[in-house]
Amino acid sequence: MTPQEIHDNLKAKFGTAVADAKLDALQPWIGLAPDRTLEVCRFLHDEAGFEFDYLSCLSGVDYNDGKLGVVYHLFSMNQKHKIVLKALCTREQPHIQSVSQVWGTANWHEREAFDMFGIVFDGHPDLRRILCGDDYPGHPLRKDFKVPEFYNGMKVPY
Amino acid sequence: MLTEFGKVLIFFILGAVFVAGGLIVSWLLRPHKPYPAKLTSYECGEEPIGHAWVRFNVRFYVLALVFLIFEVEIIFLFPWALVYRELGLFAFLEMAVFLLILWVGYAYVWVKGDLNWDKPEPKVPTLSRQFQQTGRPEPARI
Amino acid sequence: MGILNYKFEKSNIVIASLDGLLNWARLSSLYQMQFGLACCAIEMMAASASNFDIMRFGVIPRATPRQCDVMIVSGTVTLKMATRIKRLFDQMPEPRYVISMGSCSNCGGPYWEHGYHVLKGVDRVIPVDVYVPGCPPRPEALLEGLIKLQEKVRQESLAKKTVR
Repeated sequence: MTPQEIHDNLKAKFGTAVADAKLDALQPWIGLAPDRTLEVCRFLHDEAGFEFDYLSCLSGVDYNDGKLGVVYHLFSMNQKHKIVLKALCTREQPHIQSVSQVWGTANWHEREAFDMFGIVFDGHPDLRRILCGDDYPGHPLRKDFKVPEFYNGMKVPY
Repeated sequence: MLTEFGKVLIFFILGAVFVAGGLIVSWLLRPHKPYPAKLTSYECGEEPIGHAWVRFNVRFYVLALVFLIFEVEIIFLFPWALVYRELGLFAFLEMAVFLLILWVGYAYVWVKGDLNWDKPEPKVPTLSRQFQQTGRPEPARI
Repeated sequence: MGILNYKFEKSNIVIASLDGLLNWARLSSLYQMQFGLACCAIEMMAASASNFDIMRFGVIPRATPRQCDVMIVSGTVTLKMATRIKRLFDQMPEPRYVISMGSCSNCGGPYWEHGYHVLKGVDRVIPVDVYVPGCPPRPEALLEGLIKLQEKVRQESLAKKTVR
C-alpha cells in the first residue's frame, strides 16, 4: 500500500483523528490527534491489508515552538510497507494516549519519552522514569532544561 | 616417656595451637573500623529490604541426618574389616545382623521418599495476551 | 618467585619485617570487586582474559564487596549509579583501594560538558588511589595502574595511620 492509500483509508475511517500529513517527504508521515492514537493504531495493527505489527521506534520530540510530540515508525512484516505517524501536544497539556496495548515495545519507549520530555501517556500501565533517577529534577531533553547544580549531594556540572 | 595416647594428645594440642595462633595473629594485625554504612546487608548496592537471614529448605537437614547415620555404620565396619579373617564365621554373621537392621531403616527411608532431593516448583511463564495475526500461526506457549 | 629465591642462596633463614611481609601478602592478592559499567569493562575483561591475564597478579574478581580489596571502577558513572557505588564502597572492609579506569570515571570523560546525568569523575563520591587514563585504556595500561597500586601498598606501614 502506498502512503497515499494509507492516508486516504485512515481519513475515510477516522476523519478528525487524522490531522495533517506530508506524503512527499523522505519518510512520509501522517499526523494524529493526541487523544485518539490508540484507536488509530489498533486499526493499523489489526486490519487486514495494513497489519503494522512492528513498531520500530517511538521517540519524543521537542519542537522549539512550544509543542512536544511523539513520532511513531511502523513497519509491516507481512505487507512490507512502512509509515510514520506523528502526534503533537502542547507544553501546558502534555498528554498523549498510550499505544502500549497495541505493541508491547511501546511500554518502555513511552517511559523513555516521559522521562526525557515529560509527555504523560494516558492509559499506560506503569508510567515512571526509566533512565534518570526517580527524583531527578526536570526532563533533560526539553529545550529549556537547565542542569541542576546538586543532585543527592553530588555536584553535577563539571 | 609418652604413651601412644599421649602422642595423640600432643597432635591435638599442636593442631589447636596452629588454628588459634593463626586466628589470633590475624586478629592483632587486621584493621577493625566498623561504621553503620559498612554493617548494612549486601544487596548489590541498593537499600537492603528485610534482613539477610533466609530460611533454608529442610532437605539439607534430612540429607545430613541420613548421611550421619550411615557414616557411623561405616566407622563400625572399619575395625571389623581388619580382624575379619581371624574371627571366622561368627563375626561375619554378627555383622550381617547389624547391617540387616540398618538396611531395614534404609529401605524405609527410600520408600518413604526422604531421599528425594526436593526441588522448588518451577514457575512457567505464560503470555498475558493473545496474538492475533492474520495469516500467521499463533506462537507456541512456553 | 621473585623475592624469596635470593634469600636462600647463603642459608636457610629468611628475615623479613612484618610490614614487608604483610604488604607483600596484601599486594599479591588484591581481590577485585568486579565493577564494569560501560566500554571500559570490555577492556577490563580483555585484561582478565588469557592474553594479558590480570590473574597472574593475584587479582581475582569476586562478586561480593565483603571479600574484596580493590574496586576497579571502569566506565561511565551515572548519578543513579553513584549512590550504589558509594554504598558498595562502604561495604568493603579495610584495607580497600580504588582504581578509576578510563576517562569517564576519572573526570566525566566525553560527557564532561553536556552530560546531565553523568557524575564528572567517581572521585566525587569515593576516594580514588590510582587513575588510569584512556578511552578506553588498553589492558596494558590497566596492568600498569595495578602495578602502581601495588607500589603504593608496598609503602604502607602498620604503625602509620591510614586515611581510609
